[in-house]
Amino acid sequence: MKRKMFFLGMVFAGALLLTAFALPQDQKVGAPWQVPANYKAMKNPNKAGDAAAISLGKTAYAKHCRSCHGNAGLGDGPKAKNLETFPGDFSSAKFQAFGDGELYYMSYVGRDEMPNFEKKITDEEERWAVISYIRTMKK
Amino acid sequence: MKKVLFTMMLATAFALSGFAQEDESQAVKEKDKPVRPPFQSGYLIDNQTTFIPSEGTLEYVIQHKFGTMDNGFSDLFGLYAPGANIRLALNYVLIKNLQVGYGITRQKMHSDFNVKYTILEQTRQNTIPVAVAFYGNIAIDGSNKDIFGDEYTASNRLSYFSQLIIGRKFNDWLSLQFNTSFTHYNSVDSDYEHDIISLGINGRAQFSPQSSIIFQYDSPLKVKAISEQRGFYHPAKPNLGIGWEICTSTHAFHIYVASADGLVPQQNMMFNQNDFADGGLMLGFTITRLWSF
Repeated sequence: MKRKMFFLGMVFAGALLLTAFALPQDQKVGAPWQVPANYKAMKNPNKAGDAAAISLGKTAYAKHCRSCHGNAGLGDGPKAKNLETFPGDFSSAKFQAFGDGELYYMSYVGRDEMPNFEKKITDEEERWAVISYIRTMKK
Repeated sequence: MKKVLFTMMLATAFALSGFAQEDESQAVKEKDKPVRPPFQSGYLIDNQTTFIPSEGTLEYVIQHKFGTMDNGFSDLFGLYAPGANIRLALNYVLIKNLQVGYGITRQKMHSDFNVKYTILEQTRQNTIPVAVAFYGNIAIDGSNKDIFGDEYTASNRLSYFSQLIIGRKFNDWLSLQFNTSFTHYNSVDSDYEHDIISLGINGRAQFSPQSSIIFQYDSPLKVKAISEQRGFYHPAKPNLGIGWEICTSTHAFHIYVASADGLVPQQNMMFNQNDFADGGLMLGFTITRLWSF
């Protein structure tokens, strides 16, 4: 009987030990972005549905963004799991409601885990092309 | 010799192909922007491209070549072969289109200091039809000094390589480059040349947003006018290479087969004895990582 009690006690202690050190695994949702007014006022020079811009943007997105944000912008790229903050769902109505300038700031100036891309995508035309492509991800 | 002349004429025609359009109005010239980068990496197998990352970028480079593939499965096509070569390097972009670098190479324990300057960038409306870059290096052979003979001086260790690169991006997926280079070794064995001129062609065909086929062909020339010997006793063989390039935002990966085993360019131009038509090909890879400051 004592042995049984000891065994049960050990199992209980073991279970307690395992659960006591469990870490929260969920990614946090980023705080609202503080976008400066001069960025907010920016407008995408490309017309909606501009095929050339979308094609260029798709190429740049594949090179620079896809590894975290995923093929369809769902935030499920191969590197996304290593991020503490969910990289966003570009297909959602909430995301697509951001203005062009806000997307520009979020994409190229960045913050925390979202790196600055101003030196990686230096051409203004290419930057806006990526925004045009992201607009096509709307569901 | 006819082949050489033909190649030189082709290179000249290529370089001058767009200068006929210089009569465009000043207004057009002012608006004319450089084309989007013709290459996604400054490296193309053993060669350099006209591409230089934006200023303030630090690049770390790992280059590796295995042994030749001619032993087949016995050494797993060179992967287990002795004599693999590796180069580790750092490059930094000081100002726009000017990069300096330093690398160390296993073969001959070379240390090389290099500089690359993109003099001209191709523009979208052909005001400047080609990109032009200069690449040069000084390499220090770190081998034991006994190798350099009885009359050893430190300068015997030095070799120099300079190259003019002319490239053109033809469309969104195809870019080609021609180059001509001059190699000088301060000290060589008595039946070798000190100087070699060579010509090369290389390029990149992109087939997906991140992937491209890359190729190179460098041909050292037998130029009598600069030869010190009665004949060419150890002429370097051409260096052929073909590979696959994958580029991400901060990395470039090349996996390729090439015939020359050097990772310092003058080594290939002066000493390559691997014949690509006779099993003298080897697997190799290059990895680059960029950091922006």
